[in-house]
Amino acid sequence: MRQSDEAALIAAHAARDAPTLVQIYRAHAESLGDEDAAAFYMTQAYVWALEGGMPEARELHDWLKARGREA
Amino acid sequence: MPVTDLSSVLRPVSEARGLPNAHYISDDMFAAEREAVLFDNWAGLTVGAEIPEPGDAAPVSFLGIPLVAVRDRQGVIRVFQNTCRHRGMILVTEKGRLRNVIRCPYHSWSYALSGELKATPHVGGPGHNTHDNICRDELGLIEIRSHVWHDVIFVNVSGTAPPFEEYVAPLKERWAEFEHPIHHGGADSSFQFDVACNWKLAVENYCESYHLPWVHPGLNSYSRLEDHYNIEEPGAFSGQGTLVYRPTISEDGRKFADFPGLSAKWDTAAEYVAVYPNVLLGVHRDHVFSIVLEPVAKDRTVEHINIYYADPSAVAPEMADMRATAARLWHEVFKEDIVVVEGMQAGRMGPYFDGGKFSPAMDGPTHCFHAWVAQRLTEPLLAAE
Repeated sequence: MRQSDEAALIAAHAARDAPTLVQIYRAHAESLGDEDAAAFYMTQAYVWALEGGMPEARELHDWLKARGREA
Repeated sequence: MPVTDLSSVLRPVSEARGLPNAHYISDDMFAAEREAVLFDNWAGLTVGAEIPEPGDAAPVSFLGIPLVAVRDRQGVIRVFQNTCRHRGMILVTEKGRLRNVIRCPYHSWSYALSGELKATPHVGGPGHNTHDNICRDELGLIEIRSHVWHDVIFVNVSGTAPPFEEYVAPLKERWAEFEHPIHHGGADSSFQFDVACNWKLAVENYCESYHLPWVHPGLNSYSRLEDHYNIEEPGAFSGQGTLVYRPTISEDGRKFADFPGLSAKWDTAAEYVAVYPNVLLGVHRDHVFSIVLEPVAKDRTVEHINIYYADPSAVAPEMADMRATAARLWHEVFKEDIVVVEGMQAGRMGPYFDGGKFSPAMDGPTHCFHAWVAQRLTEPLLAAE
C-alpha cells in the first residue's frame, strides 16, 4: 500500500469513515494479483461496508463467497 | 440469600410492619433483591424515547449487567447483553445511531440489529471469514427478554417471569382507555434526579398520597388529601388517584389535546401507579409520564423521568412553552420528594427502627408493595425447602 493510502487509511479509521475505508481497502485488493492477499483487503472492505450500511456490502460479500471465504 | 423475618410484613396492613432496615442498608440484601425482585420480574430499563429512530442504540448498565437497547430498521426494540460472543468485549459504549450492524471494536465480529452474527472477519485465517467450528447461528447476541409498554422498555433478565401481557394485565385493564400512541415532549420533557436512597423508598413514597399536604403544599392547595384515593392490586401494583386533576391552560387559552374516547371519569381524575418493581407511571387526560428507577446501590437511585402527550399537536413548536411549564411543574413536585426519600434512607440507619407502623387507612399502597417484595424474597426459600 502506498504511503499516502496508509495515511488516509489511518485517518479514515480514526474517523470511522466507512465509505473511505471501503474505497481504499477495495482499491488495494483489486490492485493485487494474489487472491489470498486480495481476500484480506476485500474482507476489510466488506466489514466497513456492512457497518456503513453501504450497498457495496452485497458485492463484496459475493466476491468473498465465490472464493469460499464467506458464508 | 440473607434472611430477615418477613412474616410481619406479610400480615394484613393493620397488623403489619414494614420491611426491616436490612432491605435498605445492607449490600447483601441489595444483591439478593437484585436477583429475586429485579431480575426475576419485569423491571424498567429505559424508555423508547432514548432510541427514537431506526438504528439507534443505547448502552445501559442495569445493576452491573451491561445491556444495550437497539431499535432495528423496522422499529422493533430489542435488548441484548452488550457483550461480544467472541472475546467478551463491550460492544456499544455510547448512545448513537448504528448504520447497519453492531460491530465489535476488537476483532470486528458484526451483528445485525436483530442480533444475528453476520460477519466473522479472518476467523479462519487472513481473508478466510468462516471456520467449521464457528457456527454463526449459535453465536448471535444474547437477547434479554423485553417488552415495551407506555414507552418503557421492561426487561426480565432471568427469563423466568410470566409473559409481560399477563404480568401487566390488571393495570392494562384498569387503564384500557389510555392504550393509544403517546408522544414524547422532547428534550425538556426528560430529566433525572440522582437520589441518595434505596430504590424502594422512591416507590413507597410515590404510591401513597398521605404525604401530599406536608411535602407538596403547593399541590395540596387545589388537590386536597380528601380528593385522593388508594389503588391496591395485591401482587401486581399499587398507587393513588386524584379526583380533581385540572389540565394546564395557557394565558391565551391554549391547552393540550386529550386522549381520544376517554370516559367522563377522566375529565378530572388522574392516577399514579407503581408497576412493581421499579416503574412509576402517571396518567392524565392530556399527558402521561413514566419514572424508571435505576437502582445503582443500596443507597443510591437515579430517577429517569419522561413526559408524553396524548396528541401529536402537543409536541409542535408552538406548544413548547406549555410543555416547558408542564415539565417545570413535575420537576418541582418530584424534587420536593427527594428530602423525604433521602430522609427515610438516613432514618433506617437507626438500629431500633422496626420497619415502621402503617396507617391502615393511608398506607395500604405502601404495604401492598412491601408485601409483594416480601413474597418475591420468601417464595424462593419456600420452594427450596
